[in-house]
Amino acid sequence: MTPSPAMAASDLASQPPSTAPDSSENDNIQPFYVLHKASSSRNSHRKSAARRIDLSPSKPAAAKAQVDARKAFESVWSKIHSSIKDVLRDVNTNVFNEIHSWVCQSFLAITSSGVPTFAQATRSFPIQTHTTSKQLFTGLVLIKNMEFVDDLLTFKELGLCLKSHGCHVANVSSVDILTKNGVGGCLRSLLRQFVMGNLDAADVSILASWYRELGNQNSPVIIIIDDMERCSRSVLSDFILMLSEWAGKIPMILIMGVTTLDAPRNVLPSHVLQQLCPSKFILGSPAERMNAVVDASLVRWGSGFCIGHKVAIFLRNFFLNQEGTLTSFIRALKIACVQHFSMEPLSSILGLLAEEDGEGLQGERLALSSKVEAQTDSKLALGLTELMHSQKCWSTVVMCLYEAGKYNKVQLLDLLCEALDPDFYNSMASKNQTRSGKGFEISSSSDHFMARLNLRKGGPIHQAIQKVRDLPAASLSQLLKSWENLSMDILEIYDKVKELQRMVKFEEGKSLKQDFPDLAKRHASRSPANVKESKTINDKAATLISTMIRDFMKPIECVPYHEVVCFKDVEKLKSALIGDPRRMIQVDLLEFHKFLQCSCCSKHCDVLLPSMPDTSIMYTLAQEHGDLINLHDWFQSFKTIVVNCSTKGKQRKGQQSPLPKKRKDTNENQNEGEASIQKFDMEILDLVVYRARFCRALTELQITGLIRMPNKRRPDCVQRVAFGL
Amino acid sequence: MGKEESPQITRRTTRYSSAAVLKNSVETKASDTNLPSLNDLLYGEEGKPISLDDVLSSFPGRKIQILELMHILGPVNCPMVPLFIYGGTFTGKTSITLQIFRHLNRPFVYSGCLTCYNPRILFESVLNQLLLHRKNEANGYSSAKRCERPSDFVNFLREALVSVTTSLRGNSGKSGSKKSDKRANGNMVYLIFDNLELVREWDKSSTILPFLFNLYDILKMPELGLIFISNTSPDTYYSNMGYVEPTPLYFSDYSEDDLRQIFMRNQENKKLYSSFLEVVLRPFFRITRRVDELSTAFSQLYKKYCEPLSDPGVVPNEEMKRKLFSNLQPHIPPSMNDIFKVSSQPSTKVGATKEAKWKSGTKRSGGFEAIDQLDLHMSTSAKYLLLSAFLASRNPATLDASLFDSTGGSDNRKRKRKPSEKSLEQKEAVEQDLLMRGPGTFPLERLLAIFQCITSLAEGLLEEEEQGNDGLGVQGYDNSLMSDVLLQLSSLCNANFIVKGGSCPLEGSTRYRSTICEDLALKSKQKFLGGICKSKWLENDEMEKRAETEETKEGVKQTNTCEKCGASFKKPAYLKQHTRSHSDENYKDAREPVRPDLPELAKARNPTNG
Amino acid sequence: MGRENPAEKALGLLRRRLCDPSFVFKPFSDSPDSNYSKLKFIISSSVTEACNNSILLLGPRGSGKIAVLELVISDLLLEFPDMISVIKLSGLLHSDDNCAFKEIARQLCVEHQLLFSKMASFDDNSQFMIAMLRECGLAHKTIIFVLDEFDLFSQGKQRLLYSLLDAMQSVSSQAVVIGVSCRLDADQLLEKRVRSRFSHRKLLFLPPNKEDMQRFRAVSNMDLVTGFLSLENFKTALSNVQRQPKLECIKVHMLTCGTDCSILELYILVCMKKLEIKEQNSYNFNSIMKEYKTVHDSFQTSDYYAQNVCLRAFEHLLQRELISFTDSRGNNQSIEFRPVKLLVSSHELHQGLKSYRSCPAILQKLMAG
Repeated sequence: MTPSPAMAASDLASQPPSTAPDSSENDNIQPFYVLHKASSSRNSHRKSAARRIDLSPSKPAAAKAQVDARKAFESVWSKIHSSIKDVLRDVNTNVFNEIHSWVCQSFLAITSSGVPTFAQATRSFPIQTHTTSKQLFTGLVLIKNMEFVDDLLTFKELGLCLKSHGCHVANVSSVDILTKNGVGGCLRSLLRQFVMGNLDAADVSILASWYRELGNQNSPVIIIIDDMERCSRSVLSDFILMLSEWAGKIPMILIMGVTTLDAPRNVLPSHVLQQLCPSKFILGSPAERMNAVVDASLVRWGSGFCIGHKVAIFLRNFFLNQEGTLTSFIRALKIACVQHFSMEPLSSILGLLAEEDGEGLQGERLALSSKVEAQTDSKLALGLTELMHSQKCWSTVVMCLYEAGKYNKVQLLDLLCEALDPDFYNSMASKNQTRSGKGFEISSSSDHFMARLNLRKGGPIHQAIQKVRDLPAASLSQLLKSWENLSMDILEIYDKVKELQRMVKFEEGKSLKQDFPDLAKRHASRSPANVKESKTINDKAATLISTMIRDFMKPIECVPYHEVVCFKDVEKLKSALIGDPRRMIQVDLLEFHKFLQCSCCSKHCDVLLPSMPDTSIMYTLAQEHGDLINLHDWFQSFKTIVVNCSTKGKQRKGQQSPLPKKRKDTNENQNEGEASIQKFDMEILDLVVYRARFCRALTELQITGLIRMPNKRRPDCVQRVAFGL
Repeated sequence: MGKEESPQITRRTTRYSSAAVLKNSVETKASDTNLPSLNDLLYGEEGKPISLDDVLSSFPGRKIQILELMHILGPVNCPMVPLFIYGGTFTGKTSITLQIFRHLNRPFVYSGCLTCYNPRILFESVLNQLLLHRKNEANGYSSAKRCERPSDFVNFLREALVSVTTSLRGNSGKSGSKKSDKRANGNMVYLIFDNLELVREWDKSSTILPFLFNLYDILKMPELGLIFISNTSPDTYYSNMGYVEPTPLYFSDYSEDDLRQIFMRNQENKKLYSSFLEVVLRPFFRITRRVDELSTAFSQLYKKYCEPLSDPGVVPNEEMKRKLFSNLQPHIPPSMNDIFKVSSQPSTKVGATKEAKWKSGTKRSGGFEAIDQLDLHMSTSAKYLLLSAFLASRNPATLDASLFDSTGGSDNRKRKRKPSEKSLEQKEAVEQDLLMRGPGTFPLERLLAIFQCITSLAEGLLEEEEQGNDGLGVQGYDNSLMSDVLLQLSSLCNANFIVKGGSCPLEGSTRYRSTICEDLALKSKQKFLGGICKSKWLENDEMEKRAETEETKEGVKQTNTCEKCGASFKKPAYLKQHTRSHSDENYKDAREPVRPDLPELAKARNPTNG
Repeated sequence: MGRENPAEKALGLLRRRLCDPSFVFKPFSDSPDSNYSKLKFIISSSVTEACNNSILLLGPRGSGKIAVLELVISDLLLEFPDMISVIKLSGLLHSDDNCAFKEIARQLCVEHQLLFSKMASFDDNSQFMIAMLRECGLAHKTIIFVLDEFDLFSQGKQRLLYSLLDAMQSVSSQAVVIGVSCRLDADQLLEKRVRSRFSHRKLLFLPPNKEDMQRFRAVSNMDLVTGFLSLENFKTALSNVQRQPKLECIKVHMLTCGTDCSILELYILVCMKKLEIKEQNSYNFNSIMKEYKTVHDSFQTSDYYAQNVCLRAFEHLLQRELISFTDSRGNNQSIEFRPVKLLVSSHELHQGLKSYRSCPAILQKLMAG
């Protein structure tokens, strides 16, 4: 790249942080940042109009910064996204395989009783077979989530997966099974997907003849109803009955997505349930998926991008309290990513990092120094490599903790939140300063370790360590193995783990030498000796993990240069994510003077002036009423305010909300039109105009959903929908 | 309808299996050699019709009906009045009729109103069969004639019948010369309408039903025989314009020994099965008599019954029977009390967890519920919303004040107090009312008011918890909770936890109703508050039914007027949300009145902690 | 079975006659005061005198209105060949004017070997009909319109009847409109403008003898070996046939085939009955379950089953229509909350229980008091 003023700017920006703390860094970057933000053409135009010469070079700079920020964002996000996709698919695969094997079994079960001949299959009357042959094999797929968004994709993929195994698949959803379409609707959509023809008279016999004609008897017909509870009950039950009527002739298999197991019992009447021969499958619960996604996107150092402590906590709360859907979580992540790249000038480097992180640390260092050297001094490169290294260690430790916490059902997201907490680490570090004399002794029991790195009681990390402390030996060795795999490329941790494993082996050998029944009831009822030795091992493991925490789990926000890769601004994310439109509307209606900068309103905005826009006048008036607003009173108060406008409104032109203006010049037209008109008529005319304005404002309020139209019982009152504020 | 397996079927199944071996060849042959001919109107396309004795033997306990049906159909070529066959489901109406036609080898047209779900499809299927038209992709799966009106149908039907009967006559004339049993027998054509009871729902059966019943008089063709098959008796077919009653034929349900015979049919190892039946049939017979329900229950039980046996072919002696019975016995009552058993696939990895979950699933179905954790994921605000909907639809609106006003803590003391007599019968009345009415409906405002109270309560709780354990604070929690309530509400409605009447929550007054059962609410509660408020709110439900009177009194006593503007409200909750709507600075003290609950809530949770 | 079996022939003959409705009325055709001769006189006079006419044939179902009409028309067709053309409409099929006109046009075309176009509009068809009326009038041909289910034609705007009768006001036309209905007040249903144009000539038919269905069953039971109709043939036929009104039917349900309801279903019925005795004006599944539980608690019955099983039994009863929902709509409510009512009278229930061999004694006791 050729050095350009932009580089200079970024250089200048990146100079201080190597020396100074974060805060100064921010306001150093400020000018660049402002200019970058204010890339909306008009703004910069004015400036450039003012001082053309010295700012003209910075315009392309801003543009360029934007461009490669976008590039960087695209590369990074594509990474994250693809990894998330893969993870989700992996979560589903084994369930899909189960389902497929079940489908094969049931297809065999159907055809084992014999395949009806062509004529039998296509004739209208049922074949005489056993009672149970009218039953439809039904797979109930439990989606363990109230929201359905995450699983729409899942069911599509399930359909594709089964198709790829050669079954005939049709996806029917609740929009096909409506009361107004009746059974015809769902049949039509079935035939549309199978027969590929749009038929006016949909009929199951068509399906039968289709199935028999195109010699495709070797594979079952699978009908996937993805959201079963949302379907209209009567239609669904009719549909199932109809299918079961033909079950003997077409090997049909039903797959229905349900939230709870007793959903079918609630939705369908008993004689319909009788036709189903159900078996159930469980999709991965949202928590598991969430763990997988967090692991893929945030913990592992895949895409350089990571988030600060506050942001993590916000995301967690958002997931737990607001929307329990992965979709929204991922969306939130994406928004965070976008904002990070749009705000953070240096983040474009991240894009470079994102391109090459296949190689080991050294390779990266080289690549970096070769790439980044050009634009920044080697300090930044050094810092970045340091950061990457510590980040690797951090993620390794977190994963180890997670492995341990799995035995205790610790969610990775909680773990992440605590592991990202900077002040927790800082306090720990300060403690370590005091007793740093003896560094790392494996012999000492880990209790005062725990005491030293002051963990919150009941915090996930604490839980994890506790779990390690009292873990049966078998699972302990498993845990160690997983640790070993995790810490492959970080030698310091790796060999300690190795050492511990050796000790475990040794213990095993000793206990094997001991009498066997003892070994048998070793985990169940611990004889004192075993208690002791197993305790020691567990203690050692606990000490190991706690030292790992102390030494290597360094939250990103405690590492210099983290601003490059780390997104910390919660408020922005929150405002972007929770727009809270209703609240906004109401606030804006109350404080409109912020928008139309007219002198009169902003001077005394608490008293209602006639020159205010009608809608906000009426909304402010509405505040005085209760839930029910009497239209007449409202109109009266509205008029009283606006009338004195029209009296003294004549002479004041200029700053006035458009409505009264228009109103007035119509008025004037009439005035010069018939000068001889009586004042009386004028008043009537005004009254009419007021009413028109009132109605208009009323409609606007109703459209914005702040009031509700009057109902039959009380036609003179409107009800205000007062929530969201 | 009724499907019993018959000896012929077993024969045919052997034929099936052979067909299954060389499937494709057979099928392709069948499909292309299948030129439409009059024989398509016959039952069996393969070979000779069955004898009457076979029919009789294949349907135990149906001798009377079969003979009667034979008599009504009468000998060849003699006309019949319309026949109306009725009886419960799975009493073999359809299959017996079909088998008899197979035996008589006469042409007939069958159309079930279950498959043909509207008049048009019914008419067209009848016509297709009469005109020997088969839908295939060559003709784009379209039917021979398009007719939707009864009038068109009559014309088409007349033409078709005439053509068919003439060709049948020709056949019979020829069949005099060379006897071949492939030929249709006689020149009458029978129309069979199955599941006639469904027609009553079509366009309120204003025209179609009388039309079908009068079809014989309208057509006036002696060669036409009409047979209606229905689940319900003829007098449920009331129509304000009468019709000439068809002659009825009743299929009664099976008696116990009929059922025994039916189940004994084509069992290998009859001895074992009979001993099994002796054990199970009688108790189940007291519950239901439907062959299908019994057979599904039995097929599962019989597996259990046979589990201890090494070889299925064993002939049981007495003490073996006793043993078998003894280890079967525990399984009987649950299977009697369960109508819908979900079997989970045996899988290698997730098997154990599944089993556990599955148990909790079926425990509910058994009617003996165990309150355990709610096993589906739901965001907290959704849970609050669900809970408030539950409260709103279970309690009368007059109680909200006493439940959620600032003195809400007072119900602690009330809980101690013994209920008085009058409040007792009041409770009676309330329960009776609840029993009848079911969950009540409520407007959106009420839901949101309760929701806000619960939210503010719970926030207090959560904050308390935070000083306890992890600092994963809920910053920006309270205000953001309110933000997308409508979203959560809609998704709750989608998940059928809340039923919503009307279209959009903003226009008109839509009313909601929560359909969830007690224990789901309990679960969700205990889940999200860690069992803290489990005691509080649900006991409120019980408690307030008891202490309704005094609470309502005091609820009315204290006045709810906004201090800024003189607006007064029915419920303090409304007042709260109203004051909230004033502006932001008194937003905080608007939530003040709820605070006093927190200390006693803390009291409530201290014992739970330790 | 030999095809030359005389008994079989006889049976065939009998059945053919029983199934042919007009057969019964053949013998009465000569007697002067029979409906046959009246009707024949009217129509033939209007044919010979070339005048318009309109008649109503009223009588309950199966009283042979159509049959007699068929006889008359067939005879007249023999008497005056190619002076009569018959148009038959049925209220069941052609109650809406549009397809009625279409049908008329179609039949007219068939009669006069004209080409019928399906595309013809309503106006075209009505114009065509009036034109044909005039033509036939000029050619001294009488058109006989037979309107079966006459009362159904009086639904809606009655445009068909009006235009028909209005066209008949003109001298040139020559037609007879015969309305056949089983409602004795059929002419009261007509609008004023129609009724004024309608001649109020009515022929009343006597209600039929109900036995012919029984006869049919009896005859069909005739055993073909001897070829005799025995008395028990008729008895069985009677027992098979008579089951008309609803309550009667349920009683038959409970009595003759009392094994229809399982014990659990009987329990539910009895509980509902008890609730009715308690003057609970309305009750639903939940309250029934409450009652059921109290019964169980008080008597310690052997069969106390889980709610969903009872719900299934409840649904069986609904399917049998021994009980039914009191409200038609209200499907948004779940089934156990919808109020239900009993369709069996206590008397029948009682008898059913008594007639039921293996019915537990508790039920009897509960029913008794």
